[in-house]
Amino acid sequence: MSLVTVLELTPLISAVLLYAIPKGNTKLIKQAAIALSVVALGISGLIAYRFDTNATGMQFVESHNWISNFGIKYAVGIDGLALVLILLTTILTPIVLLAGWNEAEGGRWSVRTFYVLMLILESSMIAVFAATDVFLFYVIFEAMLIPVYLLIGGYGRGERAAAAMKFLLYSLLGGLLMLAAVIGIYIISTNQIGGTFETAKLATLHIDSLTENCLFLGFFIAFAIKAPLWPFHTWLPGAAKSATPATSVLLLGVLDKVGTYGMIRFCITLFPHATKTFTPLIIVLSIISILYGAFLAIGQRDINGLIAFTSISHFGFIVLGIFSMTSQGLSGATLYMVNHGFSTAALFLVAGWMVARRNSSQIEDFGGLQRITPVMAWSFFIAGMSALALPGISSFVSEFLVLVGTFTRYPVAAIFGTTGIVLAALYVLITVQRSLHGPAAPGNEGISDLNLREKIAIAPVIALLVIMGFFPKPVLDWINPSSTATMQAAGYSDPLPKAGK
Amino acid sequence: MFTSPILDYSLLAPILIILAGALIGVGVEAFARKEQRAPLQLGIALVSVVASFVQLLRVRNVRSLKAAIDSVAFDGATVFMQGSILVLAFFALLLIADRGNFVAQASAIPGSQDEHSSIAEGKSQTEVFPLTLFAISGMMLFAAATDLITLFVALEVLSLPLYLMAGLSRRRRLLSQEAALKYFLLGAYSSAFFLFGGAFLYGYSGSLSLTGIATAIDVNSGNDVFLLIGIVFLMVGLLFKIGAVPFHSWTPDVYQGAPTPITGFMAACTKIAALGAMLRIFYVALSADVVMWRPIVTVISIITMLVGAIAALSQRDVKRTLAFSSIAHAGFLLTGIIALNQSGLKASLFYLVAYGFATIGAFAVVTLVRDSAGEVSDMNRWVGLGKKSPLIAGAFCLFLLSFGGIPLTSGFIAKFSIFTAAYESGNTTVVVFGVLTSAIALFFYLRVIVMLFFTEPKSDAVTVSVPSLKVKLVLAASVIVTIVLGVYPSLLLNSAQSFASFLR
Amino acid sequence: MNPYIPILVIGAIGFGFAAFSVGVAAITGPKRYNRAKSEAYECGIQPSPQAAGGGRFPVKYFLTAMLFIVFDIEIVFLYPWAVTFDKLGLFGLVEMVIFILTVFVAYAYVWRRGGLEWD
Repeated sequence: MSLVTVLELTPLISAVLLYAIPKGNTKLIKQAAIALSVVALGISGLIAYRFDTNATGMQFVESHNWISNFGIKYAVGIDGLALVLILLTTILTPIVLLAGWNEAEGGRWSVRTFYVLMLILESSMIAVFAATDVFLFYVIFEAMLIPVYLLIGGYGRGERAAAAMKFLLYSLLGGLLMLAAVIGIYIISTNQIGGTFETAKLATLHIDSLTENCLFLGFFIAFAIKAPLWPFHTWLPGAAKSATPATSVLLLGVLDKVGTYGMIRFCITLFPHATKTFTPLIIVLSIISILYGAFLAIGQRDINGLIAFTSISHFGFIVLGIFSMTSQGLSGATLYMVNHGFSTAALFLVAGWMVARRNSSQIEDFGGLQRITPVMAWSFFIAGMSALALPGISSFVSEFLVLVGTFTRYPVAAIFGTTGIVLAALYVLITVQRSLHGPAAPGNEGISDLNLREKIAIAPVIALLVIMGFFPKPVLDWINPSSTATMQAAGYSDPLPKAGK
Repeated sequence: MFTSPILDYSLLAPILIILAGALIGVGVEAFARKEQRAPLQLGIALVSVVASFVQLLRVRNVRSLKAAIDSVAFDGATVFMQGSILVLAFFALLLIADRGNFVAQASAIPGSQDEHSSIAEGKSQTEVFPLTLFAISGMMLFAAATDLITLFVALEVLSLPLYLMAGLSRRRRLLSQEAALKYFLLGAYSSAFFLFGGAFLYGYSGSLSLTGIATAIDVNSGNDVFLLIGIVFLMVGLLFKIGAVPFHSWTPDVYQGAPTPITGFMAACTKIAALGAMLRIFYVALSADVVMWRPIVTVISIITMLVGAIAALSQRDVKRTLAFSSIAHAGFLLTGIIALNQSGLKASLFYLVAYGFATIGAFAVVTLVRDSAGEVSDMNRWVGLGKKSPLIAGAFCLFLLSFGGIPLTSGFIAKFSIFTAAYESGNTTVVVFGVLTSAIALFFYLRVIVMLFFTEPKSDAVTVSVPSLKVKLVLAASVIVTIVLGVYPSLLLNSAQSFASFLR
Repeated sequence: MNPYIPILVIGAIGFGFAAFSVGVAAITGPKRYNRAKSEAYECGIQPSPQAAGGGRFPVKYFLTAMLFIVFDIEIVFLYPWAVTFDKLGLFGLVEMVIFILTVFVAYAYVWRRGGLEWD
């Protein structure tokens, strides 16, 4: 059994183990869940240690027949791209479980159910990144909506049922379009090489251009809804406002990366010609996303809404990087996915603590927190700086790579993208100023600073944001070979820098 | 010259055993004492279903067109469909045997003194068991028949008991009787259409057997107008039985009015039989004429999916909602006919079983939700049931998710395989519509789930009664099948594949 | 000549005669209306507002009709058997006995459940 399968199963088994603990003993349940998720983190660390950065292609491969009638396999394997996203998942899970210690109380169901759902979600996120069989990917892609749906609808705030429903319906609609495309490509493979769902084999098919375009769109729309790209983003703000911080982190930080990951893994790899056709359109959409998200973020009064709209803007950058069709852009986009994961984690977690203490999510209700709660304020500040991609913080590296990669092929798009950075400075600084500085807003005097548990939870995130800002090389070493391979497979070579400039 | 026919009794035995059980059941009604009837009847019914299934297993590898002269084909599809009808009927019988769903005395006028006294005496209408067995035998024959007369006889044998059973509900008897009458009148009307179509096909081909019609189409011997009229009218009769639009209007009323276990039985088993016969007719007799009927079936399939999914959105009654969901599923199932290839047959067989189990399970849950006046099917009163009884509500959600085709449930694999088959045959339009309607349909399944789990329960007297052992069995079987076929569908797909063939 | 043509001709003549009669009667017949004409039964019997027993038909008649059908069907099948008795031989005999037994079960049911008692 491959180590990846072990890693997939660990949270799932952990979830089952939680049922051995009596429902009432919530403290033990929480401790056990965190401990078990640390075990999963350890296994992923082992995978990262054993991962061969020089090898191309999939590693830790495992394949079994699952539904032989359709040639469906349980096939997993990881390359650098999948590895970093799996690491992101396993690092963030224990952190959000620790940070969201009190989130499960007062939900619709028991505390145990919350942790069980969280662990199931972790397991399915690992599996979705590791799947190399399109059908397996699709099944997990759809099935993992259920735990998220229950987490938002059962433990969220405000209009949680409606937000959860909107999220689920959007995702399922996208998923169904993708299903049609999955069926389509399967039939084509049946006619050409015998029915299969293996990504590597599907990439060798010859598809006529009309069909290829349709299939591409089927996949792309599903991923664009998930990512979320303008104009498929409308579910996100509601979900982000209603979900608990821990759920939001996993939803925006990891789950939505499945969308951008899918674009790289399936859209570009399986349909290179259609990718070429649609690239200009997608670049335009991503630019719109960047600017639209940034403008709406500036206008936001709700702190969770703000983070949601900044994420739309950042996802615009990621998509831009992917479809710049350069290995730099793709590496930057992948790194961006990781950095955005940590940066949103920091933002949502600190914002969650602020909201829980102040009992309001309006930005204007905060104010002067810098003096009252210095540690919390500093954490929020650093998280904010990572959102605006301050040099020295990890997001800067990735944003820089994306823009450089884009500039070599689409200079105009890169220029528009750069204005996104300016707008980012605007929305982050305005928020920081309103919430942290100035005179203390009435009602804020009694707010307590972060306690030890919260400090322990946020410390690794902040540390990673800073360390990866100065020293992104290890992560890039994992990513670069995969990006180059992906671009080559899609038939793109990086444009040579023009001499004399 | 008249010679005595040669019958292969071992191949007919599965049907004959059921018929014998039904006759013994009638005998029991005539001679056994009142208090002995119910357990005796259940025993006889279950034993004959099991015996019939065992006999079917023994002869499962025999292939013959001569089971009853040229009228009954014993091929892979027959074995699979008869087997699934028997298995589903077994669970439906358990549900039927559960207490308190049936009228005490069907002949008493609703609300009359007669009715009150019959309830007070603890009478019960045990005739429902032989009636069920008769219906089962008709279904089994309907799925196997290869000539139009036998098809018609089987259609009547399966329909007549169902008309009667629809009127036997213990509560809301007027509604139930209205349902029975509606079902009977419309059903009789559609049977007439079936017969009329059969007459035209006979006029076209000079043959009543499906292979004879196929030969006539091959050599293009007759008048194409007769052929078209024949196909269309035959189709009306069959589409009525599976509840396809525009012949669906009986479905919600009958599903709502009939006793819930009967609704479950009807929804699961009748669909197999009717679709089985339809598949056989189209695959065996009319496959050469696909150009003529495929557009018609495609349009009907698309309309059926759309109407089923959209109309379900506005329903306020659980049983009506399930009825419209069954209409939508009829549309999906028709794609298996449109596909007209081996994958289509395989997918249809799988789909029917997956859908059948989820349906019986869902209706089993409906029988459990009660207040002092009996079953509660008003959806507004189901609100918050997840809190009162998480396990039962959870099972219901699982069935709904399976209807909606969420991965890791049997419904997903069913939809996937049937759409794959349709795509394979080049009918992408119907696939695209199928996918889009699935999204609409999902909305109302999710709405019910929201009501069950995400809305606070109202303080009213609706309770989930503790299921009896029989209902527990039904629920457990449906849940297990729904999950197992979702996670490891090869178990059934393999046999569906090997049995997916018609003898010509 | 096509064998259907005579059938069609007879059909057309039949239809034509019916249409002709109705048409001629409508045109040439005298039309005199009075109260008796507009009553349900033109023979002079007063229709009562509601039939005895609340408008319901006594179920006994229905039972008798059903029993008649049981035996009617039996006879219908016995006739062809009688004609081909020699050719079908033992097979026919056994099948017919089974058939009569099945019909008898229905008869026994009706008898035991009181269907034969008039009151």
